[in-house]
Amino acid sequence: MMPTKLHPALIGFTVLVFIFLVGPLVIVVGSALSDTTYLTFPPQGLSLRWFQNIFEIDAFRRTILTSLQVAVISTFVALIIGIPASYAMSRYRIQLPRWLSTLFILPVLVPELVLGFSLLKNLAFQFNAPIYLSLIIGHTILILPYVIRVISASLASFDFSIEEAAISLGSPPLKTFFTVLLPNVRSGVIAAFILAFITSVNDVSISIFLTGPGISTLPIQLLAHMEQFFDPTVASVSVMLMVLTVAVMAIVERTLGLTFLAK
Amino acid sequence: MKRLAGWTLASPATLLVLLGLVAPVAATIYTTFGTPGGPLATYQAFFASGFRRTVLLRTINVSLIVTVIALVIGFITAYVVSRAPGWLKSILIVAAVFPLLTGVVVRSFAWLIILGKNGILNSSLINLGIISEPLQMLYTQGSVIVAMVYLFVPLMVLTLVGVLEAIPDDLIQASASLGANSWATFTQVILPLAVPGLIVGAVLVFTGSFTSYATPQLLGGEQVMMMGTLMYQQAMVTFDWVSASTIAAIMVVITIAIVAAMNAAARRLNPMTV
Amino acid sequence: MTKPLSIRNITAHYGQTKVLEDLSLDIGEGELVSLLGASGCGKTTTLRLVAGFLQPTSGTITLGGKDLTRLPAHQRDIGLVFQNYALFPHLSVADNVGFGLKQRGVSGADKTKRVNAMLERVGLAHLAERLPGALSGGQKQRVALARALVIEPQLLMFDEPLSNLDAKLRVDMRVEIRQLQRANGTTSVYVTHDQEEAFSISDRVAIMHAGKIMQLDTPENLYQRPANAFVARFVGFENLVSMKVVARDGAQVTAEAAGGVKLTLGLEHFGEIPDAFVLACRADGLSVTDNMAVEGIPTTLGLRTYLGRAYQYQSETAAGTLVANGPLSRPLEPGSAAKLVPVPDQCTILAME
Repeated sequence: MMPTKLHPALIGFTVLVFIFLVGPLVIVVGSALSDTTYLTFPPQGLSLRWFQNIFEIDAFRRTILTSLQVAVISTFVALIIGIPASYAMSRYRIQLPRWLSTLFILPVLVPELVLGFSLLKNLAFQFNAPIYLSLIIGHTILILPYVIRVISASLASFDFSIEEAAISLGSPPLKTFFTVLLPNVRSGVIAAFILAFITSVNDVSISIFLTGPGISTLPIQLLAHMEQFFDPTVASVSVMLMVLTVAVMAIVERTLGLTFLAK
Repeated sequence: MKRLAGWTLASPATLLVLLGLVAPVAATIYTTFGTPGGPLATYQAFFASGFRRTVLLRTINVSLIVTVIALVIGFITAYVVSRAPGWLKSILIVAAVFPLLTGVVVRSFAWLIILGKNGILNSSLINLGIISEPLQMLYTQGSVIVAMVYLFVPLMVLTLVGVLEAIPDDLIQASASLGANSWATFTQVILPLAVPGLIVGAVLVFTGSFTSYATPQLLGGEQVMMMGTLMYQQAMVTFDWVSASTIAAIMVVITIAIVAAMNAAARRLNPMTV
Repeated sequence: MTKPLSIRNITAHYGQTKVLEDLSLDIGEGELVSLLGASGCGKTTTLRLVAGFLQPTSGTITLGGKDLTRLPAHQRDIGLVFQNYALFPHLSVADNVGFGLKQRGVSGADKTKRVNAMLERVGLAHLAERLPGALSGGQKQRVALARALVIEPQLLMFDEPLSNLDAKLRVDMRVEIRQLQRANGTTSVYVTHDQEEAFSISDRVAIMHAGKIMQLDTPENLYQRPANAFVARFVGFENLVSMKVVARDGAQVTAEAAGGVKLTLGLEHFGEIPDAFVLACRADGLSVTDNMAVEGIPTTLGLRTYLGRAYQYQSETAAGTLVANGPLSRPLEPGSAAKLVPVPDQCTILAME
């Protein structure tokens, strides 16, 4: 009943934009299914041999594992330190200085390349810290602002008097945190986890400095592979990453509803 | 007591950011001032080099072009998306989020396939008889711009959809009831109210382009070097860490200056906060 | 100039849900008619249909004889005052008021003059350069009013304009709105859920329920002569008792309710009394007495509450639980027997439905 009159030219333009947004990814999928030894689109014949190839190349097998490991570890660390920080900033806003919230968005402001390079130069090189540790520190710092922002947003709608009610009923503070507060910000925690995980898996700019011959992540390995070969392996890995993205979006949809993605 | 509790809970994250980000980045910037040639010698060297000046100007230029294109495409698209009926809006938002969650390498790689010498665009143009020889599209400024626009349009669309949806329907209806047609409502009500969002979107896109690495690396290569790729090359190929630190410092200063300036502008221009 | 509004046989749907059913309403030139009802009754939908924000499934809307039904909202020339004021936050008070004039091609000195004159009339001339964010609720509502009036619309519509103001301001503002509307003689539609507001401000009130107009009449008639049980309850006739006439004797009618209770009703007060009818009484319309000799409805008194001007009793009778008031001078104990005597002034007769 509500008239939403839009000029046809606007609608046409938007259709083109979405073709522009989705088309290239469709092309990647098509190329991955090709059975030729070079990249083509449309595929010359369908085959899944390039997917098999991913796991036959040792470098891909190893970097997929590293990427998943780094993402899981840094996401958990970011959640473990990010949730209390968000809680402190919502609950004790007046008691804490204002620069603290600025500090927590710094990782977004400072270019990732600069962070990666600085960790290499002043941590890994200066103090001889293991590259793997530096990589995890870098990823944790990178995703910390996402965690804090998402958790803070869900705490903003949390009524702290519920927590006081629980304590007045005899629940000790720490137990209250786990039994009352956490369940109420559950959707925020899930969202933070997913955003953090995906951001870590996809990161290039920090990882590019903190990887080397012994240790590398999947996106860095992809970049390296592309410089030497132009076969559909990269396309198949890309498809694999897209499947991961689809899975993540499905989880978000299941737990939080798709409207969440629009925020 | 409360202060202590607050600090205790916030301290691990605070320490991590201070020791893992602030200290190393400050150290990186600090080393650029302590060189034998004087405190600003590294910067003089940077700006004395024609090549580096070109890279800086190119990076600013490309980032500005990408920002403007993404603003125009993003705003029109966000306007249509925000006015679409519920089910269609969800689909369109998913279609915008999906590329955003797909990594930068995959998205840049897609353009490698499209713009390559034997890529889809060249072969299509040849098949259509428009050209006879494949065009050199990769490793040009144009290919970097196209891929970056592709990278940032979803971000812009999602940012602006949020901004446009926050404009109450009442205002649009008030405007219509006062006799404004949809164009007048668009230019006199919606656009002015979206300005703070446009500024935020522009900052995100500009700083993202300005400090990007993977896209210029894949689609620009040596030919279209940008600040990010130059910094990597200085740090990891020629191992000139002082030079790399200088580039890092310039990126930090420009990024933070732009964010601060536009933050101030957005706050001043946002009528909702008055 | 201002025009009469005619809504003819409008039916409207939200998706599959019917929200208005065959609704017709005529509003005369210069008249102010309120649409009154609970949320979901269709009053706001009616306003949005007239404004052009919704399209009816069938029916027509004409203003001064001109068919508006398919006309886009911005061509209808209707002034609207919104519940949330809907002031443009990026424009000053003067620019908000001047917005409609600008769309009409009025500019320069003429526009400034008309804007200033209108701001003068609503007492906001000193705030012309402020942004809406810096105004109080009452000031915002005045700007909204000025903005709708300055375009000299053919029809003025108000959508719960006072519901965000505090009680005192609400009373002041409704007087002000009524005075401005009278002075301009603009045909007006006023949507509200507040009965007192609707009755005090309107020439006529349409009481709405479930997408239909239950009764359209002057406030006096609605209050004293509701046409049906719904309206009767709505305007405070809490007690509805079904009765049958058993005897007619000149100006007197004897009627019987459930349980064999007989009451004598005078035609001079109630007018025509059909054979089967509903006696509707306010709480004040059933007087509680422990004098068991008088004619009345026998009852056992239940919970007693203190109202300040009277005691109110939940009274169990053969016709169900009734609410009746008794004098402060003689508080009666719950559980005691009493009689409820109808007070003709506070009762009315409804046809059986």
